[in-house]
Amino acid sequence: MTNETNAGKDCTRAWEIMPWVLQATAPPEQGEWLMHHLAQCESCSTEFAQQSRLRSALALPADVAVDVDTGLKHLFERLDAPEPGTLPARLQWGGRLTKALAVAVLVQAIGIGVLGARLWWDQTPQYRTLSQPASLEPAGAIRVAPEASMTLADWNKLLHDFDLRVVDGPNEVGAYTVVAKGSPATSARLLQELRASHSIRLAEPVGDTP
Amino acid sequence: MTEARDEIDSRDRLLLQRMAAGDRAALETLYRAYHGGMCRFLSRLTRRADLIEEVINDCFWVVWRKADGFQGDSRVSTWLMGIAYRCGLKALRQRGDEPVDDYALREGRGPSHDPDEDRQLRDWLGKALEHLSADQRLVVELVYGVGNSLEEVAAIMQAPVGTVKARLFHARIKLRNVLPVLAGESPAQRGKLS
Repeated sequence: MTNETNAGKDCTRAWEIMPWVLQATAPPEQGEWLMHHLAQCESCSTEFAQQSRLRSALALPADVAVDVDTGLKHLFERLDAPEPGTLPARLQWGGRLTKALAVAVLVQAIGIGVLGARLWWDQTPQYRTLSQPASLEPAGAIRVAPEASMTLADWNKLLHDFDLRVVDGPNEVGAYTVVAKGSPATSARLLQELRASHSIRLAEPVGDTP
Repeated sequence: MTEARDEIDSRDRLLLQRMAAGDRAALETLYRAYHGGMCRFLSRLTRRADLIEEVINDCFWVVWRKADGFQGDSRVSTWLMGIAYRCGLKALRQRGDEPVDDYALREGRGPSHDPDEDRQLRDWLGKALEHLSADQRLVVELVYGVGNSLEEVAAIMQAPVGTVKARLFHARIKLRNVLPVLAGESPAQRGKLS
């Protein structure tokens, strides 16, 4: 039993070192031990002969025909071919043209963007609704507060008679800012006439407003 | 054996130094020295002669450009075979090809001028390798054909040594059962490790 176990261990060891003995890279003592074992073990001896034959077969030249001279010629042609970084002048010029076009497109895109942004900000309306506060009262403006009972027709007639134009209002108390169409300067006479009108509750020059 | 390989490695290192200086004659010498071995190695991966030539040239293209970057951590031959292996896998990937698992699809096997004994041996080997996976064939080629150690094969295939050892073990088990049958013997009574 012990002998059989030892024999099994020896066969395993022989199996492991066979490739390296065949390569002649195993230490000399291993080679000697294997030769000694093979002399006593027919099975391992047959296996070693088989592996030796396998090694001989693998040492044969490749069975796929590849010509070394042709391959070398192709390699040198490849080495002589221009590398991607050193393209012919015509192709390099084409590359530069492509880059220039790309830059031009980029500049155009930026320009369009800037113009678009300016257009967006300039879209502030050129008109102003009467509900919006006046940024600056025109010269000669008069603030007029009509009576609550005054009709629209009477208001229009008054504006027409005094040749006035509404530039602002009504404000929180219902007053409008008006200016004379002809002369922007506020005349005392115009103020008196407006104040004398029975349908006008208040008429004051804007500049005098406290 | 080791001394002989050391001498070859010294020669290869000198060639690489000359190549780094732009010496094409050194490139040609190295190319011719490894062409046969690389052909055989790559023929375990693909049976297409045009692809093998392309992969060898890809490999030497890389070697030519990186000759001055060789660190010297391994033998030059190990470095070269590693590059060839990776170029081979890359070429197969780009073409959507798989390594030749059906090793029976052999083209132009055995030049007609082969001696009978060589032809028989080649035929016996070809049939045996049909039973192995591509990785197993490559490991067998590198160990038995080229004479690489497990560590060198691991460096070439960029795989752990344990993986290479397992591939070699399984390949040997398969061959152990197949080779005697192919040789007209019986594998019976020889299966202690199978």
